[in-house]
Amino acid sequence: MNAIRRRFQPEQIRELVLLLLIVGIVLFFGTQIENYFSARTFNRISTSVAVIAVVAVGQTLVVLTRNIDLSVGSIVGFTAYVVGTQLTQHNELAPLTVVLMAVGVGAVLGAINGIIVAYGRVPAIITTLGTLAIYRTILVQISGANSVVTNELPQWLIDVPRINVWSFGDLDIRFLFMLAIVVVIVFQLVVSYLPWGRRLYAIGSNPDAARIAGFPAQRIVFMAFVMSGALAGLAGFMFLARFGNITVVAGQGIELESVAAVVVGGVSTNGGIGSPFGAFLGAILIDVLQNSLIRWLAISEFWRDALLGLLILLAVATDTVIMNRLRKLWVPHELQISDSTAVKQGGVDHAG
Amino acid sequence: MAEPTTQAPVMEMQHVSMRFDATQALEDVSLTLYSGEVHALIGENGAGKSTLIKIMTGVHRPDTGTLQLDGQPVHIHNSQEAQSLGIAAIYQEPMVFPDLNVAENIFISHRNRGMVMNWGRLYKDAEAILAQLDVKLDVRMPARGLTLAAQQAVEIAKAISLKVRVLIMDEPTASLSAHEVDQLFRLVGALRSQGVAILFIGHRMEEVFRIADRITVLRDGKLISSRPRREVKRDQVIREMVGREVGDFFAKTQVERGALLMSVHGLSREGVFSDVIFDVHQGEVLGFAGLIGAGRTDVALALFGIAPADGGTIEFEGKAAKIHSSKQAMNLGIAYVTEDRRGLGLSLPMSVATNISLPTLRRYLNGAGLIRRSAEQRTAEEYRDMLMIRTPSVEVEVGKLSGGNQQKVMLSKWLNARPKLLILDEPTRGIDVRAKAEVHHIINDLAEQGLAIILISSDLPEVLAMSDRVLVMREGRQMGIYDRAEATQEAIMTAAMGQHDRAVEAHA
Repeated sequence: MNAIRRRFQPEQIRELVLLLLIVGIVLFFGTQIENYFSARTFNRISTSVAVIAVVAVGQTLVVLTRNIDLSVGSIVGFTAYVVGTQLTQHNELAPLTVVLMAVGVGAVLGAINGIIVAYGRVPAIITTLGTLAIYRTILVQISGANSVVTNELPQWLIDVPRINVWSFGDLDIRFLFMLAIVVVIVFQLVVSYLPWGRRLYAIGSNPDAARIAGFPAQRIVFMAFVMSGALAGLAGFMFLARFGNITVVAGQGIELESVAAVVVGGVSTNGGIGSPFGAFLGAILIDVLQNSLIRWLAISEFWRDALLGLLILLAVATDTVIMNRLRKLWVPHELQISDSTAVKQGGVDHAG
Repeated sequence: MAEPTTQAPVMEMQHVSMRFDATQALEDVSLTLYSGEVHALIGENGAGKSTLIKIMTGVHRPDTGTLQLDGQPVHIHNSQEAQSLGIAAIYQEPMVFPDLNVAENIFISHRNRGMVMNWGRLYKDAEAILAQLDVKLDVRMPARGLTLAAQQAVEIAKAISLKVRVLIMDEPTASLSAHEVDQLFRLVGALRSQGVAILFIGHRMEEVFRIADRITVLRDGKLISSRPRREVKRDQVIREMVGREVGDFFAKTQVERGALLMSVHGLSREGVFSDVIFDVHQGEVLGFAGLIGAGRTDVALALFGIAPADGGTIEFEGKAAKIHSSKQAMNLGIAYVTEDRRGLGLSLPMSVATNISLPTLRRYLNGAGLIRRSAEQRTAEEYRDMLMIRTPSVEVEVGKLSGGNQQKVMLSKWLNARPKLLILDEPTRGIDVRAKAEVHHIINDLAEQGLAIILISSDLPEVLAMSDRVLVMREGRQMGIYDRAEATQEAIMTAAMGQHDRAVEAHA
């Protein structure tokens, strides 16, 4: 027990627990759904996870600063539609240009959130609730309720979801999933090794201390929103590639899924705690649940959302209980003892 | 003023003791409150006054000892119970609900006023209570925008509406103007003549002597004296308050005073403090003494640019300096270790190492702009050894460490900024004796290394033992600077409590 304690922090154990939970859920549905353990299931879920995971990483950055971005769903839909229409009109656009365009559009929308929250000092929940509606309305206006349809899109884009990076037997690691993993890894490194990332945690865990330490807190929060927007833009591109058909309601509900993923993944809504990797696991959990419930014949469609909500609540509640227990185990009395040798040998009493 | 009646006591505390971990907050304290008597309770910061109040209002339960109301033993478990027994407290900052009107505020704690609000009756009752107190206030006016004195009147009216028998007033005059104090004292007089027993906690001697019928002195959790006002003299009371042993403290080693580092002239911040004048030299510890709320922390916040001064000049190393942000202060070489570890100081969920490197993160970047974690950890390990921070590893969350160790992490964080001037605000508050002694050693070592230190402390013996000179503040004003030789507990306390002003000495 002591060795475990020295090696791991409660947060790492949380991630382990999350992983076990995902495995458990998969095993459970394996017994319930015919042909569940198939390459098709894996590919479907992994592609759908990819979109949510990218948004959730952006959401993590914002939530770490003790804010929230509810406009991501609208940003996903907005960029998917705008980029989609551009592509239908200019089939010749280079793939990289298209991706950059999506990221750029998202970043601009995120910057608007960031300006209002960081410099206007309007609470993030109000701001992004407002822009959630505004971005969606603008989308409805410019689209004139027309849809982007698959057969007007260039062939390369339609092929994107089917690009394989890797195959293990039947299981394919698709390009989109790989892209999400790259995003997770990059931002995991950003929060651990860039001063900007470190300061996200500092601002979230104690805004006043951050101010005293002399950070440009407003700029850092602003950038968190820009990043969240940019990642939602990237997710918009992935969304477009995945579905091809984009209507004005595209991406609706992603804001809630991303918040759920982030919270289930252990990011504290009070800021300062959590990681992109945790959010990624959270996204997997949420998405596995969602996709499996759709195919689970035992429950009706009407109950699906309720069950999903219930499971999320259960996950968070269990998590809170377990984390509190773990923290207590980890908060050793030996720390209070004023003798430094006690630290090394202590903890046996509390190990049980 | 009405004479205190000699009748059976309303409330009695007998042999009450209470301990928090290592601190004996109260030791065998007995106190008797009579109806129609204003009983003043005085003592230094940390003498046990707050604990006493909290016991009376049911926030704490004493370890030993009993509480009696009208001769009957009572056990008070929470402040609602205290209220229903007729014990209420009002504080320095009145707790009114700004969006509710005066009448609603007065009756906010009443639960049995029926299902439907009877506004007419509410207003009439409120007016009746205010009339009793001879207060003219529109009961339909929202509490927002009332002056502090008016808010206190509302609080007192609230207490009366609850048929209060014992009213505790915890430093109610601290933020009032002289005129408002007069108004408040009229209310106190009205309450007294209605037979309410009042426990009045105050810091200003002249007010205590003006209003009190009986004066009780607490020191280090012990009852020192309790006598009718006319039997006590002011200097006697002050002597009783400060009579603590200085001997337990580690005394600062005398070091040769170095070059002049900073001169502050006429530093002011409107409504907070004014005309602060002092010099501080390398290798010198300048103590800031005074009661809580005297403005010492505000001066520190101004010097560190968090709440910048709006008047006066600062000269740092011979050059005029403008300090409008903590960044500017840090660039000059000023570091501020806050008294508020949790609020302003540390990021509790973050590790020891990341907390220490936070203000100086730039130093830990490699060529690519990435944080070198190993270097960060090395620094943290160095400070862990140097300041004896007791933690299983520097990767542990700061929130899990004990108060004394958190304090050391905070100190490490700012020492690592390699300051020339270190401002320590209550560096030993709430930490155990041993950690305290260690912090004193550290201060001493740092001064020997030539650091200039401003030490703000409410622990009088500590300031006296650790400082080369002591600056005393009272209510935002500088009362004087005392050399080590002339800085006695009595002299400092007298200045801090405003017995007589002393000419400000800028260049002692």
